[in-house]
Amino acid sequence: MTPYVGASVRSREAPRHVTGRGRYVDDMTLPRMLHACIVRSPYAHARLVQVDAARAVMTPGVKAVVTPDDVQRLTRPFKPGRYAAGLRVAISEYATACGKVRYVGEPIAMVAADTPAGAEDALDLIDVEYEPLPAFVTTAEAAVASAPALYDELGSNVAWQGHVSYGDVDAAFARADRIVRENLKVHRYSSTPLEPFACLAHATPEGLTIWCNAQSPDVVYEALAEALGLERVRVIVPDVGGGFGQKIHLIRKYAVLTALMSVKTGRPVKWIEDRSEHMMAGGHSCEQEFDVEAAVKADGEVLGLKIRDTDDVGGSVSTLTIHFTNKLNNLFNTYAVQHLRLEGRSVLTNKCPVVPNRGIGKPGMCFVWERTMDAVAHELGLDPIEVRRRNLVQKEQFPYTTPNGNIHGSGDYQALLDRVLANVGYDQVRQRQQEQAGGNMLLGIGVVIGVEPGGRNAARDMAIFPESKQMPGAGGVEGATVKIERNGSVVFTLGSPSCGQSHETTASQIIADVLGVAPSRVWLVGTFDTALSPWGVSAANSGNNFHLYDVGAVHGAATRLREKVLTLAAHALDADKTSLQIADGVVHGRGATISFAELGKIAYANQALQPAGFEPGLEATYYHSHPHANPLMLPDAQGRVRAQYTFSSAAHAAVVEVDRETGRVRVVRYVIVSDNGTLINPSVVDGQIYGSAAHGISVALGEGFVYGTDGQLLTLTLLDYGKSTTLETPRIDVEHYPVPDPFTTLGQKAAGEGAAIPSPAAIASAVEDALAPLGVRVRHLPLSPERVWGLINGVGGHLSRTLPDATRNVL
Amino acid sequence: MKHTIALTVNGEACSGEVEARTLLVHFLREHLGLTGTHVGCVVGECGACSVLVDGALVKSCLVLAVQADGGTVTTIEGLSMSDTPGKPEILHAVQEAFIDRFALQCGFCTPGFVMAVHALLARLPDPTENQIRQELSSNLCMCTGYVQIVEAVREAAARLRAKGSGE
Repeated sequence: MTPYVGASVRSREAPRHVTGRGRYVDDMTLPRMLHACIVRSPYAHARLVQVDAARAVMTPGVKAVVTPDDVQRLTRPFKPGRYAAGLRVAISEYATACGKVRYVGEPIAMVAADTPAGAEDALDLIDVEYEPLPAFVTTAEAAVASAPALYDELGSNVAWQGHVSYGDVDAAFARADRIVRENLKVHRYSSTPLEPFACLAHATPEGLTIWCNAQSPDVVYEALAEALGLERVRVIVPDVGGGFGQKIHLIRKYAVLTALMSVKTGRPVKWIEDRSEHMMAGGHSCEQEFDVEAAVKADGEVLGLKIRDTDDVGGSVSTLTIHFTNKLNNLFNTYAVQHLRLEGRSVLTNKCPVVPNRGIGKPGMCFVWERTMDAVAHELGLDPIEVRRRNLVQKEQFPYTTPNGNIHGSGDYQALLDRVLANVGYDQVRQRQQEQAGGNMLLGIGVVIGVEPGGRNAARDMAIFPESKQMPGAGGVEGATVKIERNGSVVFTLGSPSCGQSHETTASQIIADVLGVAPSRVWLVGTFDTALSPWGVSAANSGNNFHLYDVGAVHGAATRLREKVLTLAAHALDADKTSLQIADGVVHGRGATISFAELGKIAYANQALQPAGFEPGLEATYYHSHPHANPLMLPDAQGRVRAQYTFSSAAHAAVVEVDRETGRVRVVRYVIVSDNGTLINPSVVDGQIYGSAAHGISVALGEGFVYGTDGQLLTLTLLDYGKSTTLETPRIDVEHYPVPDPFTTLGQKAAGEGAAIPSPAAIASAVEDALAPLGVRVRHLPLSPERVWGLINGVGGHLSRTLPDATRNVL
Repeated sequence: MKHTIALTVNGEACSGEVEARTLLVHFLREHLGLTGTHVGCVVGECGACSVLVDGALVKSCLVLAVQADGGTVTTIEGLSMSDTPGKPEILHAVQEAFIDRFALQCGFCTPGFVMAVHALLARLPDPTENQIRQELSSNLCMCTGYVQIVEAVREAAARLRAKGSGE
């Protein structure tokens, strides 16, 4: 029988979505439900003198207001959290601003009314008195020693400084023929899920239930317990309209506020964020600046890197080092380089806090490597692809351990480059480039390579913060339950929520193969629910945990259930268990058969037909952890740690046309060759690659946040923000080149955010190639028309020095 | 002050009391329970709330409910042929193509896209890729990179043409 794993089996989720039967938080209504809205700071930095809700609460239809005083009186502050490794002083952070606001849009109060419009109207009736303070929007201003600190407790806006170092960097630099230096910048952007944050909370004396579109329900679960001191908390995650990391962290504030409002009013409360709120305060990626030095030999061998990374973490300490520590996940990209020092500084500014976001620090780390490879080639007069080839980890080196402890299970990086060059028609593009030389449309091609790490290991952060008193949850744990019902149908429960990655489709294929039934007879019951789902620390829609942990858990549960089925069938058929086979939901012995439906009746309803010692029922739960989590689950004395567990890889080739007159970049061809290990559903994996590539391309072309010098966010809508549409997004061609992973259940590797990691670098490389006749180097993102026009006309350097945040709108 | 409106939604006569400022999308979702029409931006930029009003594709966040008074509205729930008890749902060719081509991930933009594609193919039965991209440029999807959506549109167009020529 042809296995279902590996086939593009029809989507299980799609029928409900194409008919409007998806069920998102905002689609739900409870009896006597109130609607909540949030008062947000119009200032980037101010003292909160007073919040007076008197006028609002006297208004008909308004039921209650939660003020910062309520929040401080009725809740406890969050623990610093797992993204704040390195925070030197414990700083209390509550669900609302208390005493001070530090970014435009920071939540201050919540009001609940009978109708959504009534709640929105009441926002104007809450009187907030502010004492404005100077706002810092660049790390340069904020990091000055004399600058007033956003947090008095820290005394400085340089909230963290540290480094990691692997190999003997100084010796590598002493051996170098040349040092190549670059200053690189990646701007602020987001993943802008189409559905903003949403919470529906119902507090009763029996306990608190919250329906919430959280990607990591454990964050909300723990936050509610910490803040409200509640034990009986139930977090339910229905359909989620996109996540990409945005819905992991800051959503906890709103879950706590909505829950507190429900406690205060005794009624169910729904809060739905609007688009501009999400743009202001839903979380951004970190603006990162890198000073890179590469020690190189004349033949292009890179001996080592020194990187100084300045991260603009915005107005909160709760994600202080997340963009730094995530760089440990792809610290060496695909290269066999042995010596590297990464210094980091996290600088607080009066901008939105930073959050996980399609790759987090990894697109920045890949950008550093790939821009540096191009710079090395440029300075040495070598071919940029040959410089990459010279430094790649070679096929025979797998499983390969990077100097910082990551184990790349399998791969063939040279082959990815070979295939991508063939698919893009590299030589033909070069020829066309020569033919078009001197014209107004400048053709360029960029070829880059990167990895997509998968899985989780929060103990990674101890590499920069060994003195942490609390060990973060190391490694990963995740469960799944598979059950054959009395009527023979197969149902399952996953330990993690989905926000569009086709968990049900993919898991059904695995169960179908293991149990021997058609996927159409397998269905996912219910939705993620902390009270019912077999969830562990990996129950997060992040880091591609699904491909590592849920796949392992579903496979394990189905395998366990298969054993039970065979035990029961062997007894029923009076056959030897090892002689049995299962096909299409029927167990075949020699000359006799028994169906799942018949077995179901026996297992649940007829003890007399069960073998002695058989546990009734046909259900199995399995909790999976990565079987190869060690060595280096915890950092060793050199700070080596397995930051993630699988490493997909891909080569990207971008062909662009740059309009010399306007600076507009058009992507005319985009080709990816990707190794995601064993493919479970190729069309699903394709979709993940297309989507994340499109995001990275859009980021490179100009989507992003722009702040005014007063800290006002100027990009409050998707249009201002510059999200690429169908017109700017190129058609993307994908070829799979799977090399199965030796350490995972089916040989699978992560497939999710991956293509967002190398794509900004690919576009930068292609634009630089196009502008090569003008002697232009591309160091900073985004490559919006204004920025590129500036580069063409020799004002790029000037712009990037004086207008780091506002180049798009100023010109 | 409330206004009484009466309109036909997915073939059924509906009425309701709304404020003048009530948006059509909120009327559909909150008064009629037609939650397949989604709100992604409320300023007409994302297209998640696309519906047909008197046959024309509109973003229902840019239309007041009172403006639809007396009109005919089709939402995503009205696109599939019937839900006769005991009979399986017959999906529209656009819906089928979106399923078969994996043209969605989280599903939040999907109803808007399906409505927009339905309207597009009514006007242009055999669109080129460029026409598809032009016509769909005011519907945003953050998940898919549009590749499989474009494929689904071409697939749906082919199926509709085949169906049309067969009749």
